Amino acid sequence: MAMFVTARAHEHVAPVLRNVQLSRRYFLLRVARPQGFIEPRAGQFLHVAVPQAQAAGRFFLRRPFSIHDCTAEFIDLVIVEVGPGSHALRQAREGDRIDFYGPLGNAFPVQPGKRIVGIGGGVGLAPLYYYGFRSPAALNQGYRLLYGARTRDDLFLEHIPLEHAGVKLSTDDGSYGYKGNVVELAEQELKREPADMIFSCGPTVMMRAAQSLADRLHIPHHASLENRMGCALGACRACVVPTTLDGDSHYRTVCHDGPVFDGSVLRWKELPVP
Amino acid sequence: MSDISVQIGPVRFKNPVFIASGICGYAEEYSPLVNLSRLGGVVTKTITMRPRPGNLPPRIHELPYGMLNSIGLENVGLERYVAEKLPQLNKRPDVAVMVSVAAETEDEFIRLAEAFAPMDGYAGLELNLSCPNVKGEALDQGRNPALVERIARIVKDRLPEKSLWIKVTPNITSVADVARAAEQGGADAIAAINTVLGIDFDLETGKTVFARGSAGYSGPAILPIALQKVWECSRAVKIPIVGIGGIGNIDGVRKFFLAGATAVQVGTVLYNDPALPATIISALEEHPEWLTARATLS
Repeated sequence: MAMFVTARAHEHVAPVLRNVQLSRRYFLLRVARPQGFIEPRAGQFLHVAVPQAQAAGRFFLRRPFSIHDCTAEFIDLVIVEVGPGSHALRQAREGDRIDFYGPLGNAFPVQPGKRIVGIGGGVGLAPLYYYGFRSPAALNQGYRLLYGARTRDDLFLEHIPLEHAGVKLSTDDGSYGYKGNVVELAEQELKREPADMIFSCGPTVMMRAAQSLADRLHIPHHASLENRMGCALGACRACVVPTTLDGDSHYRTVCHDGPVFDGSVLRWKELPVP
Repeated sequence: MSDISVQIGPVRFKNPVFIASGICGYAEEYSPLVNLSRLGGVVTKTITMRPRPGNLPPRIHELPYGMLNSIGLENVGLERYVAEKLPQLNKRPDVAVMVSVAAETEDEFIRLAEAFAPMDGYAGLELNLSCPNVKGEALDQGRNPALVERIARIVKDRLPEKSLWIKVTPNITSVADVARAAEQGGADAIAAINTVLGIDFDLETGKTVFARGSAGYSGPAILPIALQKVWECSRAVKIPIVGIGGIGNIDGVRKFFLAGATAVQVGTVLYNDPALPATIISALEEHPEWLTARATLS
């Protein structure tokens, strides 16, 4: 039996460099890359303390956010404003200090020479963008990214490498790109030009559809999940998802065993649909 | 630096600040963020004779003044704990380990105690007689003073050199009765409190948030409840009390001492501020008089 591998998390505090609205509900939070921050891999995340929590006069758990970009100078997170925690992060000003751990969790597998298609929705863009276009470890010539949103207002086009031939967008209402959902777009694209592997990140319904597409095409699918978290270190067992794996429990933690899972081991029907 | 060590039964701990059970798993997981050797000790996640898969997700739910959890004692079971988790933690020098255990029957407590009797590498056991997130037994045990006394005696008789703590539930009319029973049975300390029963609903679906309905409430909201239970216990028993529940800063710790506690466990706040235990320990080293300050009625 393998020993538990301890996360390499460190607590960091770094100033906000930028905090800008990307679209109707999404914003980009850029913090300075702190000294000693380990080179992240695509799929890994930060566990971020909500700033000014005491001033807000309420209790907050930390929030996990997938790394969207990381250079020698900064780390970018793409955040959707949905509740009081993300709202407080949106209010953070340049120079405010943000407290986080990371990089945490596992990553999308690095597959040199493989034809990979990323299927993303919402904030699920982050790891797929980082994987294909920014992560030094995973630059992949044949990488294609298919990204969907409800409507054009939810797309943040300046952060999507539209100049890249492999990037295609969809909107449910057809206000930009392919009209329909992104998995339908993926199916069309994969018929035109096959791939060796699918990566996905986004709403559960989208990833579940990506799994059935991968099953029909008989290719592997890796999905990056999100969940509410307590510790983010694999300790508290709060963020588990049901799998077909055995062991003492069939549950696996999103924070430490994931967030990236081989889609074929997930019990998709039992995953919560937020 | 002042000596702030505390004696709890046969064991002397280097300071009175512990991490509560269930928070830091088997403790190794938190080693990147917390200097475990600096603590009075860690209480590891409750183990049972056999592994438990835990409850259906979701398992955690944030609220404005605390959180609900319904983990359901997911754990690797006694065998793997003893073979892997405890030895891994023991590789770190000078980490005092209190092992949290739960069992369904008195017979299982006998077997657990006998399994631990010949072992080294731990300071004592904390009996979880109060988990709200499993069917029946644990919470019910903690509500039955006669049973608490028998279970305490079963374990103490077999582990006389170890520190024996009984973790009590706040979900009961008289925590004093249970504390007295634990003392009578030979317990070295009362650990008060476990989580407070709570429930929440999804307004859109009209369903409970958790599959099991009720869950355990922790965080800043429960501090006054925990203080009151410690206050009540401290008037009922002579053995030390380990205060747990809602600590968010040094003020909360001082209040537990005022209520009559000898030591404290830090819980939910650790998810936000893993540096807090060390901050508390430094403050107590500067103010050792806080440990023995006791409140009087106004």
